Amino acid sequence: MNKGYLSIVLHGHLPYVRHPEYEDFLEEDWLYEAITETYIPLIHVMERLAHDKVDFRLTLTLSPTLLSMLSDGLLQERYLKHINRLIELAHKEVERTRWQPEFNHLASVYLVRFYECRNTFEKYGHNLVNAFKGFQDSGKLEIITCGATHGFLPLMDVVKPSVRAQVKVAVSHYERLLGRKPQGIWLPECGYNPGDDEILKEAGLKYFFSDAHGILHGVPRPKYGVFAPVYCKSGVACFARDLESSKQVWSSIEGYPGDYQYREFYRDIGFDLDYEYIRPYIHPDGVRINTGIKYYRITGSDNKQAYVPHLAQEKAAEHAGNFMFNRQRQVEYLHDFMQKKPIIISPYDAELLGHWWYEGPMWLEFLIRKIHFDQDTIRLITPSEYLYENPRNQVVTPSMSSWGWKGYSEMWLQGPNDWVYRHLHKASERMTELAKDFSRNGTTNGIVKRALNQALRELLLAQSSDWGFIMGTGTHTEYAVRRTKEHLLRFTNLYEQIKSNNIDEPWLKDIEYKDNIFPEIDYRVHQ
Amino acid sequence: MVLLRKIKDRLKKIIPRQKKQKKIAQAAPLKIRRGAVSRLGKKDTVLGTQELAVGKTKFSTPAPVPRGIPRVIQELPAGYGQDRVVLQVRDPWWLHSYWEISGGTRDRLQRELGDSFHSAKVVLRVYDVSHIAFDGKNAHRYFDIEVGFDSTSWYIDNVGPGRSWCVEIGLRLASGKFIVISRSNTVYTPLEGPSWITDEEWMIPDEMFARLYGMGFGFGRSSPVGKVWQERMRRALFSGVLASPGMASMSSPAKKIPKPRQFWLVVNTELIVYGATEPDASVTVQGREIKLRSDGTFTLRFALPDGKQVIPVEATSADKIETRTITPVVTKETK
Repeated sequence: MNKGYLSIVLHGHLPYVRHPEYEDFLEEDWLYEAITETYIPLIHVMERLAHDKVDFRLTLTLSPTLLSMLSDGLLQERYLKHINRLIELAHKEVERTRWQPEFNHLASVYLVRFYECRNTFEKYGHNLVNAFKGFQDSGKLEIITCGATHGFLPLMDVVKPSVRAQVKVAVSHYERLLGRKPQGIWLPECGYNPGDDEILKEAGLKYFFSDAHGILHGVPRPKYGVFAPVYCKSGVACFARDLESSKQVWSSIEGYPGDYQYREFYRDIGFDLDYEYIRPYIHPDGVRINTGIKYYRITGSDNKQAYVPHLAQEKAAEHAGNFMFNRQRQVEYLHDFMQKKPIIISPYDAELLGHWWYEGPMWLEFLIRKIHFDQDTIRLITPSEYLYENPRNQVVTPSMSSWGWKGYSEMWLQGPNDWVYRHLHKASERMTELAKDFSRNGTTNGIVKRALNQALRELLLAQSSDWGFIMGTGTHTEYAVRRTKEHLLRFTNLYEQIKSNNIDEPWLKDIEYKDNIFPEIDYRVHQ
Repeated sequence: MVLLRKIKDRLKKIIPRQKKQKKIAQAAPLKIRRGAVSRLGKKDTVLGTQELAVGKTKFSTPAPVPRGIPRVIQELPAGYGQDRVVLQVRDPWWLHSYWEISGGTRDRLQRELGDSFHSAKVVLRVYDVSHIAFDGKNAHRYFDIEVGFDSTSWYIDNVGPGRSWCVEIGLRLASGKFIVISRSNTVYTPLEGPSWITDEEWMIPDEMFARLYGMGFGFGRSSPVGKVWQERMRRALFSGVLASPGMASMSSPAKKIPKPRQFWLVVNTELIVYGATEPDASVTVQGREIKLRSDGTFTLRFALPDGKQVIPVEATSADKIETRTITPVVTKETK
């Protein structure tokens, strides 16, 4: 009989980056890298578990922007080109490293991996959503949704219709792509503002997540701390992250990913090799970029040693064992103390596993197998399942919070990015005005309706928290600034054209083609 | 308030108990190879900072890329011609406000006020409106921030957690009279610690809660939960390192440790082997078959480690009758 539950939650998200107007667009690589290093490896993990009949439960956010990109034909085609180029490069690497056995072996490993990626990509008809959907339909994976474009909701406090649009567009998009209603939502950046749960309820969502202090500083005091969910007054449940398990993975000192046997993220042949040789595989403008082929392990000194896959694998197994052991002790302790089965919520950025921490997916697989075969103290569970089995919970209003830097809004509200809110809020108000005007008289004809829908797309795209995040980090902010301005300007143009009943159709068509997210959006949700 | 203090005191006593839990969590000793930096020695390691660094790698763009025809991005308007002030919560201790005073309003005030306009100050008046329906007069207290005509936004500190706030932007005349231009929305700052309200039906023994509370943040020093973190946060807030998320260090500028010099050099060698034969011949290099270009030429590129490489290149004619072998021998030595 188990004494408690562990819920592993992976948050998969990337901002919407798709530039049909360019042949090759650097920032689209964020997606291609994540497909090769995170999404496909995660699919492989689940395939192997299913094949070996290991019962497991995982919760995964597929943010609406990520879902859109994974199911977009143009990006699929470009990914195929991308992976084919990598395969070609890996072939060359196998040859080039012939006299360096330690690298030669790695080059072959990469080659095989890239082929596997391509096979998997093709097996699911170029659309990885099919793979995830399959695991959800088999009951092992719970896919949750997120804000439509990952807008940070606490900074939309004065424009609630935008919160509603972020949530409702996400929910209907999820239904269309995954064929069922989402049960839960990952609030972008875990940003919760009391009262937003009412909107989640309107959208039919059953639960969301907050950072630990969201519940711990909630009112009234939570009886079980973060080890049981609470209900907001609306009846929507809130689960909070367990920081201890987070820290084991995140921390640069105690954290697993910093182990010396693991692959070094910052040494990539895109930067290390001779320019002329690598040139066809970096950006067409000649800027060196990461290729994904990395030969070194973290080592622990500047004199980096070659990566040894089987040693890294042993480490991943050891770390999985350690993680499980700590959760068992945690659960035993809590169980005695709470007189109730605790639930431990361990959420991670999905892209942490694989992209940043190359061995992350392997670690996850070891962990799941060990939990399944080696013990019965903890049981993996999804939040929905937990609520189904434990319907009675305390009523608490969580505190405003986020899982971002310093725990509140500062990451998205500081010198380099605070200028955006004046414009974002104005645009939201204008959108509300349009939605009101045009749903009242109910006579929107084709082109006006198209313009209204596009206006909402532009507004949502401008709201992505990713732009503020990048501006906040202060490095290479140009693209983020540009995207924010571009969508806001397009929105304003649309607003003015709609108000003056003078819509520039060819231009509208052009931006519909460029910003083609959420084809079935309905502007009336912005109210 | 007495109750609040009591609870805080009690929590203070309980907080050291985390240490016990720390033992539990570490019961399975995990060798940490980065042992050179002792776990306790490096207190400024912040979970949040690490997450930030990792988060950045999702958007790994090495350098701004020139993109064909430079496009002129139209600028956003400086304002929208309205009188408006908005208030937002940054964290339990800080608010952010932005505002706009339209040209029309400014002109009108200048006209109406005449000379006293020039001695007037633009002021952001911050009201504590906790638990009341604010009517402009009934705030618990307020304070003014002189912001000047050129500012359009402000970070407001000295607000406390768990309170409701509202601001007005306006002119304060030399006489002390305050002319309101616009009033903001009301916001509520989150609590900085656990609530002192315990649900009646769910009485929670303090002891039990505090143990859960300790577990809740594990041994994390960076979580907004717990005293250590809060103290850190306050120090950070008052030491002016606000705007740069990357700065974890709070060392005083007077004691700057000289940075280690960053100069470096890397040298690698590669060997290019190239040649040509009949386009339909088959060629092996070190016994492995290679592909010829359609004109019969070939190029191979090898990373060249130290040592001796013997590289037999053998070509066989299409009819397998003739064979030619050439064997370069290359020795590389690094001194």
